Amino acid sequence: MNYMPGTASLIEDIDKKHLVLLRDGRTLIGFLRSIDQFANLVLHQTVERIHVGKKYGDIPRGIFIVRGENVVLLGEIDLEKEIDTPLQQVSIEEILEEQRVEQQAKQEAEKLKLQALKERGLSILRADTLDEY
Amino acid sequence: MTADLADTEWCPLLQETDECKADGHSEDEEATTLLQEMVEEDEEIDLYNEETFRLDMESGGEEDPADLFVFCGEFSQFEKGASKDLSKMNGEPPKPPEVQQAAGQPAPQRLPVTKSQPAPALSKVPVAPRTTGRIEMRGERRRELSKKMEFQDPAVLKSIKGKPTLESLDSAVVDSGISSTWDEMDLEAEDTAAMKVIDRTLEQRIPPTTLDFLSSPLTHQYPEVSAPKHAPQGHLSPRAFSPRYMQQVPACPMMPRSPLCPVRPYSSQTRFGQPSRYLSPSSFRPTSSNISTPTRPLTPKVLQMRFGPMSPSPGPAPFFSPPANPLQRFRFPGHVTQLHPQHRRILSQRQQRTQSSMRKQREPRSDPYANIMSAKEKAWVIRLQMIQLQSENPHLDDYYYQAYYQKLEEKLTEDELLGDRAKKEPPKLMTPYVQKAEIYEPVVHIEGSLGQVAVSTCYSPRRAIDAVHVHCQEEDLKDIGHRRLGVLNLIEKMFMTLLEVEELQKKMAVLPEEERVRFHDTLTCKVNQLFHLLKEGFQESCHELDAEFLPVLLVSKGKRLIARLLSFLPLEAALEILVAVLKHLPLLMAQDAECSYEALPVLYTPLCTVIGHLSFTQLVQVLKEFTAPLPDSTDTRLSLACHNKFAISFLYALLSHGERLLSADTPIEPGIEEFDIWTDTVFSVAKQLSHSSLVEPLLLPSNLLSLFCRYLDKQAVVQLEGTIERPGSLPVQ
Repeated sequence: MNYMPGTASLIEDIDKKHLVLLRDGRTLIGFLRSIDQFANLVLHQTVERIHVGKKYGDIPRGIFIVRGENVVLLGEIDLEKEIDTPLQQVSIEEILEEQRVEQQAKQEAEKLKLQALKERGLSILRADTLDEY
Repeated sequence: MTADLADTEWCPLLQETDECKADGHSEDEEATTLLQEMVEEDEEIDLYNEETFRLDMESGGEEDPADLFVFCGEFSQFEKGASKDLSKMNGEPPKPPEVQQAAGQPAPQRLPVTKSQPAPALSKVPVAPRTTGRIEMRGERRRELSKKMEFQDPAVLKSIKGKPTLESLDSAVVDSGISSTWDEMDLEAEDTAAMKVIDRTLEQRIPPTTLDFLSSPLTHQYPEVSAPKHAPQGHLSPRAFSPRYMQQVPACPMMPRSPLCPVRPYSSQTRFGQPSRYLSPSSFRPTSSNISTPTRPLTPKVLQMRFGPMSPSPGPAPFFSPPANPLQRFRFPGHVTQLHPQHRRILSQRQQRTQSSMRKQREPRSDPYANIMSAKEKAWVIRLQMIQLQSENPHLDDYYYQAYYQKLEEKLTEDELLGDRAKKEPPKLMTPYVQKAEIYEPVVHIEGSLGQVAVSTCYSPRRAIDAVHVHCQEEDLKDIGHRRLGVLNLIEKMFMTLLEVEELQKKMAVLPEEERVRFHDTLTCKVNQLFHLLKEGFQESCHELDAEFLPVLLVSKGKRLIARLLSFLPLEAALEILVAVLKHLPLLMAQDAECSYEALPVLYTPLCTVIGHLSFTQLVQVLKEFTAPLPDSTDTRLSLACHNKFAISFLYALLSHGERLLSADTPIEPGIEEFDIWTDTVFSVAKQLSHSSLVEPLLLPSNLLSLFCRYLDKQAVVQLEGTIERPGSLPVQ
């Protein structure tokens, strides 16, 4: 038995609903319409899904062209099983607020950690500051 | 009649263009050269792309007629004008009515269009309203097409009517739009008819091609193209035209070959430089657009757009046929342009599968946006990926996959042996070997020069040896240091060859049978060459006679070279080396004793393999050397051997092999003399061993004691056993 090499294997997945996790952490859900040899993707009827805890919200985004290198993960969504998810869908405003709260909490925790490390005479560069240099 | 009408329409234009000839030539020239360059470049790219990703009729078949249709439609209008000339000159019948139909009558489909609807009249038909988005357009088109209203496609209409808008010139828009929905169209009849006409006309128009890119689908498809009958060659070459001239050409009814000339649709002249009456659609369009559109693929702009998956398929090939100028530089199809047969099979299987599923899905689908990526584009991506699998040396280019798959296979065979599960074939990628046509030469190429050594040293640091070697004079060579450098240099060279040999060996394991033979010849040749170099290459650096192999053996890298080479050598050659090692054993042992690091043991394993293949006679000869007295001392090699790990292991291996030969079932018939030597050797070895303190051997053969049992009395054997198995202790007296 043989299979398609490289991105050619993605061709079988065209016109199916896919979830794409990007390198910046965003989650996109949409119909895969076109690919190329670099696994650049064209997503159609895309929504950006934000998960916070057990809640999630969808922001409609339309057509997305994703540069292949930014894809962390890509998988087909089973349309039949999609409905019976234990997660609860909430409005965009609500999920954005939840996200904001979550991020704030995370930052606080990070700050505390950094403070504690500083007191012990240690310091680590944060990942995002590393990126800049 | 059509032709007459066209003719009368063209007449004023002819005058106009004649007037135009007079002015504005100089500013065109710069643009022309630039244009020519662009055209050339793009043609090359296009051709290369075509060759690399050409979609054969089977692969892209379902879309191909789409392109064809667009151009047929456009072409046919030109035909109306040109057919008159044709029929005049060649006595050919006027073109069939189907072509006229394809020429873009929007309303009545499949009805033969009467000649009372001349093409030029079309230009006065208002342009269909444009839709804004591509997808919307396509969706709309799909709906229309499914109702069998093929020719109402706005893009098609536009291109047929030939208003020179950007959209109509963008072949990508036209192509992709139509090709993606082609499977739902049903135009075979029109197409074939149109093709016939085009074919026939082209036979007279396409100049001969001397280009022999034989595998190109272009030439395969139209091998019958013949010399032009009415036109000088220069006129047919794209570079022979100034933009001005190109504009004029279509206007002249006496130049039927114009479809092959690249016409610049957007020359600044037509756009802005001319009086508006020349630009007015009614006078300009019927000629320029209809005639220029078939030639569109040759204009640089369109060529650029055609790069990639949209590249022309063999369907409309006549319009992309090789340019007239045979001097143009073409990239010939390299090894990468052909697909492996297995890959081709997979591709065609896929094609068939999708085609059959297409047929099933003819009814309206729930997803109107499905199949935005056409089968042709899909095939293109698959092809590209498959081509990437081809490699000259998969173990280098694709090491991880090769290693992974090898492991996977090993694991599976293990599982099978254990009976854990039924035989299961894991999915495998075909990674075919290809032979590269030309060898890529990296820039690092220095003949003993010091100038670029800094660059080269990062590739092969030992090249410094070359540099020194070449620069020193002949008398300097006598200097011992330089002699050593010479040896190192030679060893270095031989190592390169050895690496090649090993590479060949590795490749041979995965090659098909017929290629293996060829590889085997090369390998044998290289090994022989190496052996000769080993034997004779060091004459200069070593003046003593009888010192074959010694210079190499004295260098630890040389030892490693010999160790690696031994497995490739035929037995006689290997035996020569073995004897040489034995002959120089005292010296080598002394050298080893001086260094803290023992280099001789690297030779042990390969030499053991050689010993394993010796016949009894050969073995006895070797052993004789062992016991023979040394020229300038009372010691024999035997007595010295007891104090060297390698030497004693070597001796044991020899004896063990002798014992194996004698105790084996296969009869060996040693001569009396040979047998005597053998017995003597065994006795003297036993005597020597029992009287010396032994070092621990690298390996103690198990049949050694049984050998001594055969020749010695029990007490002696017990004593010997003690010394052999407890090395380091003093023999019990």
